[in-house]
Amino acid sequence: MNTHTKPSRPAFLANPFYTIAGWKALAWGLLGMAVATAGSMAAHLHYHGLMHYGSAPNDAWWCYTAEHLVVWLVPAAIFYVAGLLLSSSRIRLIDVLGTTAFSQIPFAVMNLFYLPEQVQTFIALTPEELAGKISQESYWLPVVGWLTPSLLFLAVVLCWLAVALKTSCNLRGWRLLLGYAAGIIGGDMACRLIISLMYK
Amino acid sequence: MNTPKRLPLTCPSCETPLKVSELFCHTCGTKVCGEYDLPPLARLSEKEQQFAIDFIKSSGSLKEMARSMGLSYPTVRNILDELIEKLQHLSPSNP
Repeated sequence: MNTHTKPSRPAFLANPFYTIAGWKALAWGLLGMAVATAGSMAAHLHYHGLMHYGSAPNDAWWCYTAEHLVVWLVPAAIFYVAGLLLSSSRIRLIDVLGTTAFSQIPFAVMNLFYLPEQVQTFIALTPEELAGKISQESYWLPVVGWLTPSLLFLAVVLCWLAVALKTSCNLRGWRLLLGYAAGIIGGDMACRLIISLMYK
Repeated sequence: MNTPKRLPLTCPSCETPLKVSELFCHTCGTKVCGEYDLPPLARLSEKEQQFAIDFIKSSGSLKEMARSMGLSYPTVRNILDELIEKLQHLSPSNP
């Protein structure tokens, strides 16, 4: 008799790692990453960090690929170290890598919002150009309105990263909070630092 | 209808863990009276006991358990870790 049953679809969306982790999650995650990278290339959307996106001087295909790999591997490495330091469970690297990769699947959908040409022109504006256009509401308001729902997919990524850390490293309470903050805030900063090297 | 009786673990009135006060031999009718704690495994919930049984039946293979339960490996490992923690609290004399 199995008393721990498979979750319903809403429960799966709340924590997919209850049922999927390891190599399976990694395979899905890498597939999602490939689609997200293709979307980024088509939309000329560069990932400057885990939570920072925009245009960049390097439009080579390898740059987009490397950005997505950095955005995956840096938080995963921080989560793994946090798990080793803060968890009493025997954690597996493959679970951390797999769940972190799977968490970033919604990026593939988020990137689609950047495909329209008007959005691409908008994100390519320099801060000075943007300041000049600030009075032209009819220019930036539709773009901002179009991009707002894309934040939902970023929110899903951030939520899934939290449950990925919780499940793969068996962390709870302040340990989970500390590991998550290190992975997201520290990870974003580290990603920006590493990715900026590719633009030189 | 004969439904299997469940061993109550806590007092239905105040929820304090119950103890054993009498044991009975159904062959000769001998009764042993005293105050005994339930063994740690018997103090686990029905769900936890079933997990422990499944764990033993699968020769301690978490991978096999994860497969048969349709859950991920870390989820099963986390359930086991919670069980270990609970058992350590139930039997404080053991390291």
